[in-house]
Amino acid sequence: MKFHSLFAAALAAGVAFAASPSLAQDYPTKEIQGIIQWGAGGSTDTVMRAVTPKAEEVLGQSIVLQNVTGGVGAIALNKVASGKADGYTLLMGAENPLLYKVMGLGTKDYSDFVPIAILARGTPILVARPDAPFDTYEEMMAYIKDHPDEVKFGSTGPGGLPSVVSSMIADAEGGLPVTFIPYDGDGPALTALQSKAIDVMPAVLGAAIEAVKAGKMKPLAVVTNDKVDQLPDVEPISKANEKFSKYLPWGPFFGVFVPKGTPEDAISKLEDAYKQAGEQDSFKQLMDNRGYTLMNISGKEAEDFMTKWQSSTTWLLQDAGMTKKSPEEFDIPKPE
Amino acid sequence: MDAILAFLTVFTRPDLFALVALGTFAGVYVGAIPGLSVTMAVSILISFTFSWDVLPAIALMIGIYMGGVYGGSRTAILLNIPGAPSAIATALDGYPMARRGQAGEAIGITTVMSFIGGFVGIAVLAVAAPFVSDFALSFQPRDYMLLAVLGLLLVGSLAGESLVKGIFCGALGLMLGSVGMDPLTFTERFTFDLPLLQSGISFIAVMIGLFGVSEALSQLHDIDKAAVRQTIARIVPSWSTVRKHLPLSMQTSTLGVIIGALPGTGGDIAALMAYDHAKRVTRNPERPFGDGAIEGLVAPETANNAAVGGAFIPMMTLGIPGDAVTAIMIGALFIHGLNPGPMLMVEQPDMFWFIVGALVLANFCMLLFGLTGIKLFVKIVEMPRTVLVPLIMLLSIVGAYAVNNSITDVYWMLGFGVFGYFLKLYGYPLGPIILGVILSRLLDDNWRRAILSERGSLGDFFIGMVTSPLSLVLFLSVIFIFISQTPPWKRWRQRREALRAKSDPARPAAAKTSEEKI
Repeated sequence: MKFHSLFAAALAAGVAFAASPSLAQDYPTKEIQGIIQWGAGGSTDTVMRAVTPKAEEVLGQSIVLQNVTGGVGAIALNKVASGKADGYTLLMGAENPLLYKVMGLGTKDYSDFVPIAILARGTPILVARPDAPFDTYEEMMAYIKDHPDEVKFGSTGPGGLPSVVSSMIADAEGGLPVTFIPYDGDGPALTALQSKAIDVMPAVLGAAIEAVKAGKMKPLAVVTNDKVDQLPDVEPISKANEKFSKYLPWGPFFGVFVPKGTPEDAISKLEDAYKQAGEQDSFKQLMDNRGYTLMNISGKEAEDFMTKWQSSTTWLLQDAGMTKKSPEEFDIPKPE
Repeated sequence: MDAILAFLTVFTRPDLFALVALGTFAGVYVGAIPGLSVTMAVSILISFTFSWDVLPAIALMIGIYMGGVYGGSRTAILLNIPGAPSAIATALDGYPMARRGQAGEAIGITTVMSFIGGFVGIAVLAVAAPFVSDFALSFQPRDYMLLAVLGLLLVGSLAGESLVKGIFCGALGLMLGSVGMDPLTFTERFTFDLPLLQSGISFIAVMIGLFGVSEALSQLHDIDKAAVRQTIARIVPSWSTVRKHLPLSMQTSTLGVIIGALPGTGGDIAALMAYDHAKRVTRNPERPFGDGAIEGLVAPETANNAAVGGAFIPMMTLGIPGDAVTAIMIGALFIHGLNPGPMLMVEQPDMFWFIVGALVLANFCMLLFGLTGIKLFVKIVEMPRTVLVPLIMLLSIVGAYAVNNSITDVYWMLGFGVFGYFLKLYGYPLGPIILGVILSRLLDDNWRRAILSERGSLGDFFIGMVTSPLSLVLFLSVIFIFISQTPPWKRWRQRREALRAKSDPARPAAAKTSEEKI
């Protein structure tokens, strides 16, 4: 502790120094901890480390970031949830906790938290290795029907983006007879795609876009209702099959959270700080480059967004037979 | 011309020069303290350098990376606590040297060899990056699995006096590595429904416990004996020493670059495999391996520093990280508005040459900072044991805590320390346990991917193994190494050596000591 936090504090001191201390009246009077659910170098980590310096400036306090990994992020979530609700510990995470309950990964999720900011949402894309024997989504489906179980799909475990997108396809097309090869993240899986260990990977646009532009991967479809600006030549999946539109738009998201019971004053200050941080041009630019849709919502709006996300995704996985417990057990309403 | 200018940027701009130097200096100490990792330091730097320009930010990160990989050897040699997993193999022979009063010499040779290894890594990055990254991408799950099997055969090198005990410890390590939630299916393994075990056992905690704490406990046996006087006559190794080990260092550097360039394997595996390689090819070590052989320092230290250049290869050519640190640097490039990917080298070749330049400078800084202050450091080993033992304990506890800021890890670390002490007492080697933990994920995950890719058909799996040239080479290596450790092979070798000695009386009878140790 001593060494790590001293070290971090020493480095963060420079940032705090630049900020004006006169802004700090009541909250925050001391340094804030930010617990990142995922490992260093991942997309959650990158987003949070990019947005936080500006929030520190607004708050006039340093936010010491720390990666607490394991259990699909559940370790970090439980750690923050069981800590003090005083606004000095933030949880920085992605969409996964909304699936913990049905996946049997834990008993807590974002319903035990107040959203400070939901910063951005990702767009899923279906990519294939460049020499795969199909060029579009339709051709891929036709090939799969002729060669059942032969096509290798990358996956990142139950509840990950690939499993959700694959469930959508299976549901819309009445089955998806392919072989799933598990990887521990979309980074390693996309590497495997380029080394031809797998044929198709449902990934987040930002992770694949550079390789797509360079011709190292073949885009089959973007998993959206409309075309996306970053790749204007790629067809949306709902054009191939209208049944997809009922799930879309869907995508992973990133957000900052505090435990329920945190004082109102702290919540509003944090909301303000992250709102300003999310609106900086450099952050917008970063999100745009990586193919994320900027959201920057908080409060009721963010809660409604998550309720809807949880309801549609958990029921989709339930119908695909991928859950351990039914969403019904947790009073998650079925989408109309 | 532009390339040369970009390469020289870091040497001509004083601010960048200073940042690389500062980073390397800090890196050496970050790397030396177990639990403080380069990954951690570089990820903190992402926020810290957010408002900077991209060049200074990258310069500082590269310095820390280069210094940090080298720094891990410092505590490994002086205290038997590897500062980072890639310095595990360094402790095997470095620490025995320190105990004999040759700590200064050990650090000196380590520094020079790290420099050579680092340089080979950078050279390969500069001239052959696209070629090496294509080669690295040709590794399929089956090949990664074979690589892990090849790694497991290192148990033979690390086992010490009893192979059976070595195999037992290796298997124990493999099992420890599989505890926790399986990252591929999220199924719990060996957790007994305890939340404590869900995230697995921290590998760093196991390492610090087995090496550091068990050593501290063993030292209690000799608490009254005077500390070993260190001779520091010779720190910078002589040219003849360097030249003697040059062939070995080139081989292990090459090994390091390739293992470093493979996404999914890094300096730790490279160093251990290099150690094994050295043990196999060295005919006459001045001292047996495990007892302070210089070759036992040369191999891992060249390999782990060569792996740095290697890790940049897929990062620069494809935007694929070669290890955890390069993964964070890719994030840093994104934040600074660059788009690391296959197009980076085409669209921004300057960035590539700048990074090569910064690595070269960092490598020189590492040599400089590594060779200064050795006399001061060596004093640590000369301290009375009543001071040294508490110091090792303190460093171990701080290190284990710092990894995840978790007190549970400290308990694990202490538990494994006591366990390791008893293992040592009964002649069980500790190296294979760590080896097993490092390799378990690589072996387990890739075996499952490989067999799933063949849709569960073992026949297809073996057909694939002999039809793919890369798999075949790896498979034959596994078989050859395995056979070369068996008694009939050794008898044949000894007979051949005896014959040769008879016909050439000037040549001393083979490197028997090292052979028998295996």
